[in-house]
Amino acid sequence: MESPRDRKYFAKKKVCRFCTESIEMNYKNIDILSRYITDRKKIVPKRNSGLCARCQRQLATEIKRARFMALLPYTVLH
Amino acid sequence: MAAKPRYYETLYIIRPDIKEEDLAKIQQRLRDAISANEGEIIKFDKWAQRELAYEIQDYSRGIYYIIIFKSLPGAVAELERHLRFYNTDVLRFMTVAITEAAANKERAVQESKAAEESAAAAESQAETAAQPVEEAETENEPAATEPAEGGTN
Repeated sequence: MESPRDRKYFAKKKVCRFCTESIEMNYKNIDILSRYITDRKKIVPKRNSGLCARCQRQLATEIKRARFMALLPYTVLH
Repeated sequence: MAAKPRYYETLYIIRPDIKEEDLAKIQQRLRDAISANEGEIIKFDKWAQRELAYEIQDYSRGIYYIIIFKSLPGAVAELERHLRFYNTDVLRFMTVAITEAAANKERAVQESKAAEESAAAAESQAETAAQPVEEAETENEPAATEPAEGGTN
């Protein structure tokens, strides 16, 4: 059952970077985490980050840990 | 129901203007808290001194210290009780459970570092004590590489 959508656009398959590249996601590794926060310091949503569900959940946890330890800001208003 | 020992990592922030003796006292208390609960300290180190992302108790900088240890779950509560007790000096702390693999990796790093240090110490001792310096250096080299290899395997 091919939907019209499939024919219209090229399906560009997103691959989760953390699954393929085996980078360690850790709340102490701010350089990597800060790639996944917006300029208003929000966590980048899954549709933009391109991560798989499991990695996105893990990412959110690690960012929240980093925020608690004052490694990353919660907002721009601090 | 026997509780199994697990691996933990505690990161805590100390205010930057702390006196050395106060810091030593706090750290001694933390070490005691872990070892009193049959814990094994794998790493007990300074992690970084850095700008805080936001002010905590009016401090904009902080010194981060890290403890990696293996212990029964009860030791965590005991350790955090001590950290809370010094809450004027300890700005923030957090304990997370880590995997055994991550802990073992850290242990290997620490062991190879310790081996390097002892080898370097032996080397400098040999240099000051004995005249045949070259001989002493070659003797120490295999001692430095062996424990590191053992740790990674």
